[in-house]
Amino acid sequence: MTSLPQLGSSIDALQPPRKGFFAALAPGGGRILFALVVIGVAFLFAFPVLWVLLTSLRPASGVFYVHRGTEFTLHNFVEVLQQESVYNAFINSFAISTFATLLSLGVTVTSGYMLSRFRGPAPSVWFAIIYVLRCVPYISWVLPLFFVTRQLGIFDTYWGLLLPHVAVHVCFFSWIMKGFFDGIDPSMEYAALIDGCTRWGAFFRVAMPAAVPGLTALAILCWLYTWNEFLFALLLTSHKTPILTVVMAQFVHELGMEWHLMSATAILALIPALIVTIFGQKYVIRGLRV
Amino acid sequence: MVSPIRATRRHLLSCLAAIGLAAVLPAAAQAQVELKVGYMKHPIQDASLDMMEKWAKANNVKFTRVPMAYNVFQEKVTATLTTQGDQFDLIWHNDDWGQLWEKWLEPTDDVKGMENVDKWPLDAFWSAEKKMTVVPMVHTVGTFFYRSDLLKPNEVPKTWAELVTVSQKLQKDGKVKWGYVGGMSMNNTWFAQWWTMWTNNCDIFYPLLERNNAKLKAGGFKSALADPCHKEVIEFWWDALHKHKISPEAMTSYGRNEANAIFMAGDAAFTLVDSTHWGEFNDPARSKIVGKVGMAPFPMGPRAKAHTSWNEIWGWGIPKGSPAEKKKLTKQMLAAMLADEEGQITQWKKTGGPPPNVKVWDKIAAQDPVFKQLKHAVFDQKPITHSAYYFAQWPAVHKAYSDASVKALSGKREDIGKVLEEGAPLVTRAATN
Amino acid sequence: MTLSAIDLDHPPKRRLFGERQRFMLLLIAPAAAALAFFQILPIMTGANASFRDWSLHDPQMTWVGFKHYVYVLTDAGFVWTVMPNTIFFMVISVACSLVFGLALALLLNRNFPGRAVVQTILLLPLMVAPVVAAIMIRWMFNDQFGIVNVVLELVGLPGQPWLAQRWTAFSVILFADIWLWTPWFALLLLAGLQSLPREPFEAAAIDGASHWRVFRYLTVPMLRPVMVVCIVIRAIDAFRTFDIVWTISQGGPARSTELFSIYAYIEAFQAMNFARGSAAAMIGAAVIVVLAMIIFRVLNRWAEVSK
Repeated sequence: MTSLPQLGSSIDALQPPRKGFFAALAPGGGRILFALVVIGVAFLFAFPVLWVLLTSLRPASGVFYVHRGTEFTLHNFVEVLQQESVYNAFINSFAISTFATLLSLGVTVTSGYMLSRFRGPAPSVWFAIIYVLRCVPYISWVLPLFFVTRQLGIFDTYWGLLLPHVAVHVCFFSWIMKGFFDGIDPSMEYAALIDGCTRWGAFFRVAMPAAVPGLTALAILCWLYTWNEFLFALLLTSHKTPILTVVMAQFVHELGMEWHLMSATAILALIPALIVTIFGQKYVIRGLRV
Repeated sequence: MVSPIRATRRHLLSCLAAIGLAAVLPAAAQAQVELKVGYMKHPIQDASLDMMEKWAKANNVKFTRVPMAYNVFQEKVTATLTTQGDQFDLIWHNDDWGQLWEKWLEPTDDVKGMENVDKWPLDAFWSAEKKMTVVPMVHTVGTFFYRSDLLKPNEVPKTWAELVTVSQKLQKDGKVKWGYVGGMSMNNTWFAQWWTMWTNNCDIFYPLLERNNAKLKAGGFKSALADPCHKEVIEFWWDALHKHKISPEAMTSYGRNEANAIFMAGDAAFTLVDSTHWGEFNDPARSKIVGKVGMAPFPMGPRAKAHTSWNEIWGWGIPKGSPAEKKKLTKQMLAAMLADEEGQITQWKKTGGPPPNVKVWDKIAAQDPVFKQLKHAVFDQKPITHSAYYFAQWPAVHKAYSDASVKALSGKREDIGKVLEEGAPLVTRAATN
Repeated sequence: MTLSAIDLDHPPKRRLFGERQRFMLLLIAPAAAALAFFQILPIMTGANASFRDWSLHDPQMTWVGFKHYVYVLTDAGFVWTVMPNTIFFMVISVACSLVFGLALALLLNRNFPGRAVVQTILLLPLMVAPVVAAIMIRWMFNDQFGIVNVVLELVGLPGQPWLAQRWTAFSVILFADIWLWTPWFALLLLAGLQSLPREPFEAAAIDGASHWRVFRYLTVPMLRPVMVVCIVIRAIDAFRTFDIVWTISQGGPARSTELFSIYAYIEAFQAMNFARGSAAAMIGAAVIVVLAMIIFRVLNRWAEVSK
C-alpha cells in the first residue's frame, strides 16, 4: 500500500499540448485573468485578518461598527504594551512554541520513518495506537490532563505545557511524516545500507534531507499551532507562566469583552508568527529538494 | 527548596537568555505569608482586591493576584477545589455556581462585617450545614436603561405594551433604528426572556416563584414552560422581533456584547443589562451615548402587580483546602475590605459596582444622584424572587430553557405553544438527572 | 507491492529484539513516552470517568456501568441532530478545504511574480489565533454592525440575520472552518508537491502533456500518500471541531448547529456532568475511528482504481 505509483504507464498516456482556452481567446488576457484571480483569492483569505487589524486601530467606541466613523488610534496597542505580563507572555509563548516544535519534530520524524519503512506487527500496533488516540476528543481528557500535570508537579511550568503539546503532535506528525517518507524512493537508503552505512546513517544522511520540505511545512504548522493554541494554555498554566493566548482570553470576562485590546494583542501576536512563517517557508519551496 | 522541575525550567529560561531574550524569573520564595487570590480580571474585582491589598501591605502579607480567563474559570477552580494539593486562599464566587462549591468552601459567618451586608442575595450560598460560604464583593443587579436624551423620566415605558408603542414612535420619528436590544442567547437569557418572565409573575418551575429546593423537589421540578404566563412572554418577544420589529431579528443569537455595542452606538432606545455597565455606557472612549443614559424600573407584564427587580452578588469564597492559619488571615482581610468605607466608595465611583456594605449605600446616595437613580430603579423595588435557582443542575436547566425559548422564537408564531410544550419535559429532565 | 518492505524491512535473521527491532523501538521510544503520560493516561482517566458517577463539583466516583452511554445513545437530540450535523459538517468542510487547498498548492507550485507574497498572505488564517479569528467572523456576520450585511445592503441585497437561522448559521461556521483549514491543506500539499521527483514532470513536459493530464495522471497519483493522510487526519479533526463553532454559534440557534464535541462540552462542563460528557466523547471517538477507517479504505481503493 505504500508503493510508488507506476509512472511509466501514465506518462505513455500523455497527449501533445493544447493551447489554453483564454490564451486562444485573447492573447495576454489569460495572464491578466490569472493575476485577478490570485489577487481576489488572496484578498478573501486576508480579509478577516485585515479586519482584525482595522479593528485594533479603532478607538474602543468604534470596534464593533468598524465601518462607521473614521477615527483611528494606536492607543489600544499602547494600553496592551503597558501590561507587564504581556512581555513575559511574549517570551514564554515564543519559547514554548519553539521548543515544542523542535521536540515534536525530533520525536516524530523518527516515528514517521518507522511507520513508512517497516512492516509487521510493531508498526501496525504503533499505527493503531496513534490513530485511535487521535480520534478521542479533547473534551474527555483535558481535565484529566490538568490533574496529571498537577500530580507530576509540572503544572504552570514550561514542561507542563510543552510535553502535552508534543504528545498531541505525535499522532498527526508521525502520520504525515509517514506520508512524506512514502513519497520518497527508498532505494537510495538501500544503496546506502549496502555501502556499509548503518540504519541510523541511512536515515539521517539519505532519508532526512529528502524530507526537508515536509519537515519545514510541519515545523511551520507546529509553531503556529502552539503559538495560537488556547485550550491547553488556559488549563495548564497560571500566573507564573503567562502565555499570550491566555492574556488574550483574559480580555473576555463575564460582563463582555475588551475587544479593542484583544484585537490589538492579536495583531501584536501576528508579528512573530509572520516572521516565523516567512523565514520557514523558504525551505518548503523549490530548491531544497534533493 | 528548588524542585527539579523548577530547576529545569530555569535551565530552559537560561537557554532563552542565551539566544538573546531576557527572561524574568519569579521572585524567590519569601518568608512572608502569601495569600493567593484566583479571580477574573475585571475592574470591579480589581477594585475590591485593591482594598485587600491595602490591608495586606499593612500586615506584612504577600498578596498574589492570579487572574484567570472567564472561559475556564469555573471549570478550573472546581477542579482545583475537588482535588488535593495547591489551593487558592481566596476565590471569586458567583451566585450562578453558588451551590456547586458549598461543599468545598469555608464558612464565612464569623467574618466581621457580615452583619452589614444585604441578606437577600446570600440565599445562593448556604451550605448543606446551613453555613454561609461567601463574602459579598459587589451587587450585580439587572437594570433597565433608557436614552434620557430621547425620553423624559415620565415618558419611560412602565409596561410591555408601552415599551412597544414608545419604541415604535421613536423608530418612526427616526430617532433610533431599534427600540429594545438585549442578549437572548445562552447565558444571556436574563436580558430578554427572563426579565419579562419575572415581570409577568411567571417562573421556570411550579410552584411559581418558589426557591425552596425541598418544595421544588416535592413537585417533581414540574416545568412551567407551557403555562399561559410563559406563552405570553414568548409571544411578546416573537412580536417584538418579527411583527412590531422593535428589536433586530437576529437578537436570538445575541450576547451582551452585541446588544451593548448596538446600544452604545446610539442605535437603540432601551436595553436591560447589569447595572455595572453604567460606567461603560458613560465612558467617552467606548460609548457614543455619554450622558444620555437613564435608569428606570423594569416595565411590567400583563400579570404583574408591581415593579420587580433582581439583586444578586459577586463575592469571595475561602477554599477549605487552604491552611488554617491562612484562612484566619484571609478572614481578617475580608473583614477589612467590608469595613473599608472609603475603598467601597472608590469602587462605586470607579466602576459603578454597588458596594457590599449596605451602610455605605445611604452615604453614597446622599452625594451621588446616579446612585440615587439606581437605588430607585433596583434596590427600592422588591424582587419577587431570585434571578436563578440554587441547585447544582441549574446550568443544565438554563441551557434547556434557552434552547426551548430560542426555538420557539425562531419558528412560526402559531407553533409557540407546541414548542413550549415539547420543551417543558426537557427542562424538567435537566433538573432531575 | 512495496519497495520499502523489501528494502529496509528485510529481516536478516529471525531473532526477537534483533537489530531491526531495536532500531524500530528506538525510533518510536520518545514519542511513545510522551504519549503514555500525556495522552494515554488522561484518556484512560476520562474513559474511566464515563463509567462512574462523576460530576465536576462533587465526584462520587461510584461505578454506574453503561448508564451514561445509554443516556447519550437514547437522547434523540444526540442521535438525530448532533450526529448528522457533525457528519455533514465534516464532509463539507473537508471536501471544500481539500479542493481549495489543492488548487492553492498547485497555484503556489508555479512560478509567477509575487509568489512568495501571495503564499504568505494565504497562510494568514493559520497565523492569527483561531479564537480571535472566530470572534472576528462572528462580528463580521452580525446583522447590525457586521461588514457582510453592510456590503450586501450596499449592492442592494437584503441583509440576513445570519446567526439566528439554522442554515445561514451553518454556512457561517463552515465558512470559518474552510477559511481556517484551506491554508493547512495548501501548505502540506505544496510540501508534498515539492518533495516529488522532478523527472516524470520533465518527461511529461517534453511529451507536451496538457496541464489537466499532468495533474490527473501524474500529480494526483504521486501526491496520493500525503493527500490521503491529510484527508483522513482533517476528517478526524473536523469531526471533533469545537472552538470555532462554540465561539461563533454555540451550537445555536437552539441546538440546530450543535456538533458532537459541543454536546460533550455542554454535558461535561456546562452541566458539570463530566462522566456523561466523557461518555459522549467516547461514543464520538468510536464513531470517528470507524468512519475514518472507511474513508481511508475508500480513498485508497479509489486511488488504486484511478491509477
